[in-house]
Amino acid sequence: MRLNGLAIRHFRNLGSQDLELPSEGVALIGDNAQGKSNFLEAIYYLETFRSFRGARDEQLVAFHEGVFRVAGTLQERDTGRSMKVAAAFEKKGKRKKVSVDGAEPDRMGDVLGRLAAVIFSPADVELVSGGPRERRRFLDIVLSLSEPGYLTALQDYRKILVRRNASLKDGQPSSVVVAWDSGLVGSGARVMRARRDWIEQRCGAFRDYYQEVSGGIGAQMRYRPSVTLADAACKEDIALAFRDILAASGERERRMGTTVVGPHRDDLLLRLEDDAEGLDLRAYGSGGQRRTAALALRLVEARTIRETRERAPLILLDDVFAELDGGRRERVLALMEKEEMGQVVLTSPKESDVKIRKDSLPRWRIEAGRITA
Amino acid sequence: MSVIERLTGDFARLPGIGPKTALRLVHHLMKGSKEDTRRLSRSLLDLSERIRPCDVCGNFSEHELCEVCSNPRRDGTVLCVVEEAYEVGAIEGTGQYRGLFHVLGGRLSPLDGVGPEELNLAALLERIRRSEGEIEEIIIATNASVEGEATAVYLDQEIRPMGPRVTRLARGIPVGSDLEYVDGSTIAQALAGRQEMSI
Ligand SMILES: [Zn+2]
Repeated sequence: MRLNGLAIRHFRNLGSQDLELPSEGVALIGDNAQGKSNFLEAIYYLETFRSFRGARDEQLVAFHEGVFRVAGTLQERDTGRSMKVAAAFEKKGKRKKVSVDGAEPDRMGDVLGRLAAVIFSPADVELVSGGPRERRRFLDIVLSLSEPGYLTALQDYRKILVRRNASLKDGQPSSVVVAWDSGLVGSGARVMRARRDWIEQRCGAFRDYYQEVSGGIGAQMRYRPSVTLADAACKEDIALAFRDILAASGERERRMGTTVVGPHRDDLLLRLEDDAEGLDLRAYGSGGQRRTAALALRLVEARTIRETRERAPLILLDDVFAELDGGRRERVLALMEKEEMGQVVLTSPKESDVKIRKDSLPRWRIEAGRITA
Repeated sequence: MSVIERLTGDFARLPGIGPKTALRLVHHLMKGSKEDTRRLSRSLLDLSERIRPCDVCGNFSEHELCEVCSNPRRDGTVLCVVEEAYEVGAIEGTGQYRGLFHVLGGRLSPLDGVGPEELNLAALLERIRRSEGEIEEIIIATNASVEGEATAVYLDQEIRPMGPRVTRLARGIPVGSDLEYVDGSTIAQALAGRQEMSI
């Protein structure tokens, strides 16, 4: 997908701007706090209809304004077919409106991922150094964008989980609590299977990317499910395992007043391949190693998009090279040139940091939210 | 507050009616004949004074027993459990169902503090017990939402040990939709294709 045009209204400090994007992409240069990340946030909003920085929609509306709106004109590279994706949010009624070619979808899930974009940000290091919640969120976004039915299963699982937890907290008899188990196990098994399959399929790519960027040892990613799974368990086996452990946890969950096992307690383990043990990058990795692992996760995400959606992803780079040492920076750049990437939109405070695409990207400048070509 | 404001406010509290539509309805009534408006107000009064839940099944009724329960030609061996009384009408509308009903008055909804105690459930179990085996099948027609499903599982757990077969409406009813909004032929198909509950 190519992003041809972008119309922004009252999104953060970006004011009202209508921009035409060059087909190869653009490098946005500007000092800190001028709105570089806001620009990428606006673009990526059209991919997931939420802030990649985890901001609430209210926070995205410009000061003194009531509504923000972002609309993008996309064009398919092969067919030339174009499409318009728009999103708006009204602060007062807390109403979000999303449309594709003017039509509102029945469910948000139906229009996720139209951009086929991946965003790389310095905050990605949290994927590695942060808690399991960060990594589950990463898995959930990647799988919602690439795996049909995943988002529905995840949403069902969450709905059932909060209700089951409310029953537990309420001290309802176990006959009432277990009434939720069938739904919890069914949706939960679908979530677990999708996570397990994705991680198993992509762990080789993760190792390779890590190794190429680090220029030395590799790293592994492994699924660490809350429910212990046998190798190659099918969905039915996963459901049975989940049901068994749920039944065995009855007393503990009653005491804690919450469901203690299930995919809401999963983690993605990232380890160095330096010895048999494998050091956990979260606990023992250096800053450079964690940043490398985070980059590798995003590169795997980009590859997933490329393979499942069969299109070169739009790459958004939010000043990611600044914190890498020289060697890593060169190797990431080389890797990105080699991989089949689509348009690239990158931000940087310095001209000299934008050597991607053989330094061929047109330069735009941003100052106090105003973008000039 | 003026009469017009008050009535507009009353209309606006009804489902699916916003302030603009409410005002339009009030204007319409003011322009129309006084007799029409009186008839409407009498109907509203009758609704509030004469409609009550059926003593047996909880369906809307004008007497102790609703039209379904008081009809001797209905099949007393089958009982269809719905969440809300207005859903009885949706199933009756298919013309395909000859059994009786039981209205739960809601569904398990722990976020709203609704557990089994808050539902018309004890009466259902009592009805089954008192029938001494005459009720052979319970069709669970709770909605296909996560709460409707959990309610179905709970009912199955409670009812099956008492003897009757427990069946669930076949899939095909869109997930999360109330029976009220599903068309008659879809409901008829779901009834015909009902299956034994399995968990
Ligand atoms: Zn009745």
